[in-house]
Amino acid sequence: MSLVDILIGFFTVSAIGGGVVMLLARHPMRVALALIATMLSLAGVYALVGLHAVAVFQVFIYVGAVMVFMVYVIMLLDIGDRRALHRYGRVLWPAIAAGGVLVLVLGHLGWRAGASLPPASAGNEGTFLVQPFSAAFLANWWLAFELASVVLLVAVLGAIAVIQGSRRHDG
Amino acid sequence: MIQDLVITLVYIGYAMGMLLTFGAILTWVERKQAALMSDRIGANRAYVRLPFTEVKIVWMGLFHGMADGLKLLLKEDFRPNTFDRFAYNLAVWLAFVPVLLVFAVVPFGGTLDPGQLIPPLAGWFEGRTYSMQIAPIDAGLLVVFAFAGISIIGAMLAGWASDNKFSLLGALRAGSQLLSYEVVLALTVLGLILIYGHVDLRAIVEWQSGTVLGFLPAWGIVVQPFAAILFLTASIAENKRMPFDLPDAESELITGYITEYSAMQQGMFMLGEFIEIAIIGALFTTLFLGGYNLPWLTDAGFLLPGGELIALPHALVVVLQLLTFLAKMALVCSFQILVRWSLPRFRWDQLLRFAWTWLLPLALLNLAVTALAVWAIG
Repeated sequence: MSLVDILIGFFTVSAIGGGVVMLLARHPMRVALALIATMLSLAGVYALVGLHAVAVFQVFIYVGAVMVFMVYVIMLLDIGDRRALHRYGRVLWPAIAAGGVLVLVLGHLGWRAGASLPPASAGNEGTFLVQPFSAAFLANWWLAFELASVVLLVAVLGAIAVIQGSRRHDG
Repeated sequence: MIQDLVITLVYIGYAMGMLLTFGAILTWVERKQAALMSDRIGANRAYVRLPFTEVKIVWMGLFHGMADGLKLLLKEDFRPNTFDRFAYNLAVWLAFVPVLLVFAVVPFGGTLDPGQLIPPLAGWFEGRTYSMQIAPIDAGLLVVFAFAGISIIGAMLAGWASDNKFSLLGALRAGSQLLSYEVVLALTVLGLILIYGHVDLRAIVEWQSGTVLGFLPAWGIVVQPFAAILFLTASIAENKRMPFDLPDAESELITGYITEYSAMQQGMFMLGEFIEIAIIGALFTTLFLGGYNLPWLTDAGFLLPGGELIALPHALVVVLQLLTFLAKMALVCSFQILVRWSLPRFRWDQLLRFAWTWLLPLALLNLAVTALAVWAIG
């Protein structure tokens, strides 16, 4: 077991731990911090298996841009807002059940595919260095990337619609 | 493999020691240079008296930094009765650590051959050579920006978790100021990337070891003089120092998001700010002043324009490169302090307007002109 393996293990555990805390924490700021911890740990894992470009963008875009805006907004929220401390309510048990099913399915798939997956460093040696990555990205994947941004826009609209709906429900 | 680990640990030790020393000494430089600029004698009161004698060692007030450190360590640690003690304590580290991490990708010297440097260990190192850089990552410059983004969260978290309106205002200002100037910073650096063709800081430094027009060193400041000015301006704003020190303006916000921190926690914020001066010095040196390059100095020795080589021993080359880097860094640090004691503070709206209506268009213009020039030259 090399130092890299130990570090990958450490970052994996900390990523999962961050995810669990993110789900369990009540206060939005704690949730944001846990999410940041998860993202940083994932970036560590990516960097250790040689996907430097992905690791850097994970920190640069998700933590440096997205989460900074999240923290900025949460900072400005009313601190006295006690709704953040409410219990999960009716959706808690269905959510746990669905999460359990998801973990089982993923675990099953991973178990089956585990034997046939190539080791992380084989074959993509150099593909995820910054220069080849950006060249391939701008040559082949720019359209997919732009389409993904449209999906994000739809997601934002959906979130607004959900919030509006619940507001109307509150009266 | 264990050799690599040893060398990396030595590098990390050097970087930490160097940065913390810079941070401590810059507190003194700031006072002494301010005194020089305003024609005062300046920091000269702190001294160490030799025991049982009347001999006082003043050393131009160098002990002031030590006195500060002792004071901060021994002061009572007041903490507000905040709603989120965890975030309050975490914020200090989120603001302090990324500043140190940035240095991991900065090359502070050429190639090190430990076997040649310490002959008894030559057999153990088996002729391995190492570039003097903690983490030789191809995404170097992107890593710098990635870590810089984390420290923004630290400042905002500090202001939010302090449960104080002045702190919250400071955090609000810190967030918007840092975001605005980071955009400028990134756009400025894009022009450099176009010219160098790399984001790897070592490749960038090696690019700058050539010459332009036959005699000028091909440093960033020669090929991108305008970007150099923009970069320095935006990085001083990123460091929240005069004339951009609105987030912790003492006279209006009682040091903003740092208000509720005392003793060494406050000291960490201050030290982080001083270390960031050194980091900006290191980055500016790497991007614009040719890094560890001394004109005509190669890893083998001085290669004069006529093609004549003055061979130097490896140890001397290494020391020369380290010293060159430190000297350039110190120069940029001193310039930042010069700016800090020369310019008055912006008003808050002026500060944001300056970023979005002046610096941003100028950075875009610089980028467009650079792109055209690179395309035309081919």
